[in-house]
Amino acid sequence: MNSRYTRDIVISVMLLVCIGTVMVYSSTALMSMRKYGSGSHYLWNHIFTLCVGIAAMLILSRTDYKKFRSFVYIMMGFSLFLILLVFVPWIGISANGARRWLRLWPTTFQPSELVKLVMVIFLADYMDKNIHRMREFKYGILIPVVIMLIFQGIIIAQPDFGAVMSLGILTVGLLILGGARLSHIGALVLSSLPVIYIVVSSSSYRMKRIMSFTNPWKDSFGDGFQLVQSFIAFGSGGFFGVGLGGSKQKLYFLPEVHTDFIFSLISEELGLIGALTVVGIFVWFFIRGVQVSLRTSDPFSYFLTMGLTMMIGVQAVINFAVSMGLMPTKGLPLPFISYGGSALLINMCAAAILISISRQNENNAYNSNPVYNTHRRSRR
Amino acid sequence: MTKRRNQNDENLKLFDHNPHQEHLKKSRKRALVIITVILFCFVVISWRLVDLMIFDHDKLSRRAAQQYQFKKTLNPERGVIWDRNMKEMATNIDTYSLYAVPKLIKDTRSFSREVSPLVKVSYKDLSRTLLKKRKKKFVWVDRKMEPEAVRKVRKLMDGPGFEALGMMTEAKRFYPKGNTASHILGFTDIDNIGISGLELYYDEFLKGKGINVSVSTDARGNSLSGEIDDNVSGNNLLLTIDEGIQHIVERELANAVEKWKAKAAVAIMMDPSTGEILAMSNRPTYDPNLSVKGPNRRNRAKFEKFWGDRRNRAITDIFEPGSTLKLVLAAAAIEEKVVKLDDMFDVSKGYIVVGGKRINDAHKMGILNFSEVIQRSSNVGSVKIGFRLGEEKYYDYLKRFGFGDKTGIDFPGEASGILRETDEWSGISLAELSIGQEIGATPMQIIRAFAAIANGGLLMKPYVVSDIISPSGAVIKRTTPEVERRVVSRETAETVKNILKMVVEEGGTATKAYIKGNLVAGKTGTAQIFDPKKGRYSRTKYVSSFVGFVPADDPKVALIVVIYEPQKQIYGGVVAAPVFKKIVENTFTYLGVPMERDANKIYLVTRSR
Repeated sequence: MNSRYTRDIVISVMLLVCIGTVMVYSSTALMSMRKYGSGSHYLWNHIFTLCVGIAAMLILSRTDYKKFRSFVYIMMGFSLFLILLVFVPWIGISANGARRWLRLWPTTFQPSELVKLVMVIFLADYMDKNIHRMREFKYGILIPVVIMLIFQGIIIAQPDFGAVMSLGILTVGLLILGGARLSHIGALVLSSLPVIYIVVSSSSYRMKRIMSFTNPWKDSFGDGFQLVQSFIAFGSGGFFGVGLGGSKQKLYFLPEVHTDFIFSLISEELGLIGALTVVGIFVWFFIRGVQVSLRTSDPFSYFLTMGLTMMIGVQAVINFAVSMGLMPTKGLPLPFISYGGSALLINMCAAAILISISRQNENNAYNSNPVYNTHRRSRR
Repeated sequence: MTKRRNQNDENLKLFDHNPHQEHLKKSRKRALVIITVILFCFVVISWRLVDLMIFDHDKLSRRAAQQYQFKKTLNPERGVIWDRNMKEMATNIDTYSLYAVPKLIKDTRSFSREVSPLVKVSYKDLSRTLLKKRKKKFVWVDRKMEPEAVRKVRKLMDGPGFEALGMMTEAKRFYPKGNTASHILGFTDIDNIGISGLELYYDEFLKGKGINVSVSTDARGNSLSGEIDDNVSGNNLLLTIDEGIQHIVERELANAVEKWKAKAAVAIMMDPSTGEILAMSNRPTYDPNLSVKGPNRRNRAKFEKFWGDRRNRAITDIFEPGSTLKLVLAAAAIEEKVVKLDDMFDVSKGYIVVGGKRINDAHKMGILNFSEVIQRSSNVGSVKIGFRLGEEKYYDYLKRFGFGDKTGIDFPGEASGILRETDEWSGISLAELSIGQEIGATPMQIIRAFAAIANGGLLMKPYVVSDIISPSGAVIKRTTPEVERRVVSRETAETVKNILKMVVEEGGTATKAYIKGNLVAGKTGTAQIFDPKKGRYSRTKYVSSFVGFVPADDPKVALIVVIYEPQKQIYGGVVAAPVFKKIVENTFTYLGVPMERDANKIYLVTRSR
C-alpha cells in the first residue's frame, strides 16, 4: 500500500518517456532523413539522453535527498557559473538567435533547465531554515526574490523568456507555500507586471508573439503561422487521430514539432483519446506527487516535493496551453516527452528525487496529514 | 478501514508533537489552493482539447486538406521538331533550376550574399526579390543553370542553413543544329513558350495541353504522391524542310554575304509542284540556343540588332523585286495574246521617257524580239510590253500571281506586300511596274510566282509543316498540297519557261547560273533601293536577286536568292546567280538527281520535229 505512490510515479514517468520516444521518432524521421540521410538521427540522440537519464534516476532515487542540503549553495554557484558560461564564445552555442546552450561533446547542454531544479532545492532548504521568519518581508520576499532575479536577469539576456517565466511562477508558488504574507506576494506580482510589459514590448519578436496569440488567424501565414498550424494539427486529429506516423502537419507545416509543439503532433496522430491519455498521465503524476508531499514529516521534504511536482506540472500546463493558443507562444518543452536532452535529463532527475522522497517517507505515511484528517472529518 | 482510522488518530498525536505544525498546517491550506488551481488548469486544457478536436474538427480538417493539396499545372514536355527525314531540329534537354522558399530564410542579406555569386543573379536583385516576396512559398532564384553552377549550388545546399533552397528539373529547349534553320524554328522564352517562328505559330500544338492536378505536398512544396504521370508531351512537328539542303543553303548564303559584304541575304527553296518549302535561310542569323531574353526596348540599338538577327526576312520583309517581276509581265502578255514571240521591239535608244521620267536600260541593245526582251532584261522593251497590256490587265495578273496578298504560309508575321489598286496609279505607274518597281513583294511571293510557271500554271500555297504528330505517333493534322488558283494556261507557262531558259544561256543576263548537266530556267533582278530620306532611288544601294527552277522541263526545285546591298557588284546575274548555281548543284548531288543534259537534247529534238 505504501509503496504505491513510488510505483505510480515511476510508471507514469516511464509511460510519458515511452510515448515521448515514439512521438519524437514520428516527428523527426522525415526531417532527419532529409538532413542526415538517416531517419533515426534524432531518435538515437533521444535514446542516448534517456539512457543517461535512467542511470541518473537509478542513482538519485537511491540517494538520501537530504544530503543535497549540505551543498545547495555550491549547486547554486555552479549553475550560476554555467549560465554565465553560455556567453563565452566557442563554449556557448547560439541557434535561432538565442545563446542557450553549452557545447558538451558529443551533445549540448542547456543550463537554464538546471537552474529550475537547483532553485527548487535551494528554496526548499531556505524556507525550511527560515520557516519562522517567512512572514517578514526581508526573509519571505526580499532575499529569495533577489536571488531569483539574478538568475532571471542572466537568462533573459540569452534570451530564454520561457525559462524566466517558469522560474518566476515556481518561485512565487513556493513562497506562497512557504508562508510569505499574501499581501507581500500580491505586491510582488503587481510590481512585476510593468517589468514584464517592458521586457515584452522591448523585443519585437515577443510583441509579435503576443499579438499573434490574440488572433492567430489574422496573419495565418506570418506571425500566426505556428499557432494556426498547431490548431490544424489538433483539429485534424479528431477523436481517434490520423494514426501513428500519419501526421501531415509534421511535414514542415508545424515548426518545432518535435520540441515545443509535440503535443499537437500527439493529438493529430493519436486523437482526442491519445491527447487526454497524456494529460491524464500528467494529472496522475501530479496528484501522486502532491500525495507524497502531504505525507512528508519535515518542511524541507514537503517543500521540495511540492516544488518538484509543481515544476513538472506547471511546465506541462504551460506547454499544453501554448500549443492550444491559451497562452502566448514561448519555448517550453513538454516534460519527459519533447526532444531536447537537457530538459529531459533534468526532469528525470526531478522525478528521481521525488521517488527518493517517496521511498524514504513511506514509513511515516499518515503521520502528519491534516488534509487527510480534515477530509475524514467532513465525511463523518 | 477502522484500522486505518486508528492509525490516523495515532498520527494526529504525532502531529501534535511536530515542532513546525503551525506553519505546515497553514502551508497545506495554501497548497490545497495551488493544487486546485493547477488541477483546474488541467480541466481547462482538457476542455480546450475537446473544443479543438471535436467541435472544430470539420473546420480545421478542411483547412488542413486545403494546405496539403496544391493545384498544379503539369507542363508537358514540348514537342520535338523534325525535318522531313525525321532528323531532330528542336528538342528538349533537362536542366536544373533553383528556387527558394523565402519564408524559411532567416537572414535574407547573408543568404543572398552566399547564394548570389553562384548564380546568374546579382546580390542586389536577389535580396530585393526575396524581401519583396518574403511571405511567399516559392520564388525562382535562377533557372536552367549551367552544370558548373548546379554543382556549386548543390554543394552549398548540402551544408546547413540553406534549407530554403530547392532544385527542380526543367526542360530547356535545345536546337541541336545551332543556327541552321534558326529563322524557321524560331525560339522560346524561359517558360518554353514560343516567341517566334514555328515555335510561335504552332505553340498550341507543341506545348500540348497542361493538365491540372491536385498534388499532396509538404510545406516546402515537395510532392508526396509519386503516381502522377507528368510525362505528358506536346505534339511533334514534321517539317517539309530537308536539313541537308538547309545546311547547303545556309553555307552558300553565308559565303555570298561574306564575298559581297552584303547587308543581308535570303534564300528559299520550294518544291514547285507541291508548295513545300525545302529550305529557307536568312542572313544575318543567330543561334536560338543562346540568350532567349530579348534586350530592353529602351536600348534601341541592341533591341533592333536582336530582332534584326532573328527576323525571317524571307517572309516578313518586302522589297522592290525589279526585273524578276518581268515574269508576270511576260506571262500576262502571252496569255492575253497582246504579243507574239517574234514581235520586235526597238530599244536601240537605250531609254524611254514616260510621263517626264526617263527609264534606262543597263546598256544599249538595238532591236530585240519579245523573248530577247525578257532574256536580256530590257527595261525599255518591258515598258513597251506593259503599255500593250494595259493597266487593268497587268494589275489583274499581278493580283492572280499572288502579289499584294499573303501567301498563307504557316508562319507568323507574314507581310502581304504593297500593290496599289489601279485607280491609285499615277501616269508612270504602269511603266514602273513593268520593270518591277512601285511594288513591294516578299521573297516568298516571288518564288511562289515562279513555282507557278514551273509547275504549269498553278499557284500553290507554300507550307513548312507537313505533319503534326501526337506523342503516341498518330498523325493529328496533315498538310496536303493546296492549289490556290490557275494563273495561266499550261501552254503559256510552257512558253514562259522556254524564255526563262534563255536567260541562263548565251546572251542572257544569268549565264553564271548555268548548271552543267541540268537546264535552268530563271530570271535575274537588280533593283535600286528607294531611299525614303532622299525621296528617290539610291544610286549605291541595290538588291540583287536570281529566281529560277531546275531542271527546267521537270522542275524538282524552285529557288530564290536575294542579296541585299552587295558591295562592288550589283547585278543579279553576277551576285545572286552564282549562289543559285552552287546551291542547286550541291542540292542535286545531295538528292542524287541525275544530270539530264543528254535526255534534254533528245527531248528538244523530239520537240523541234
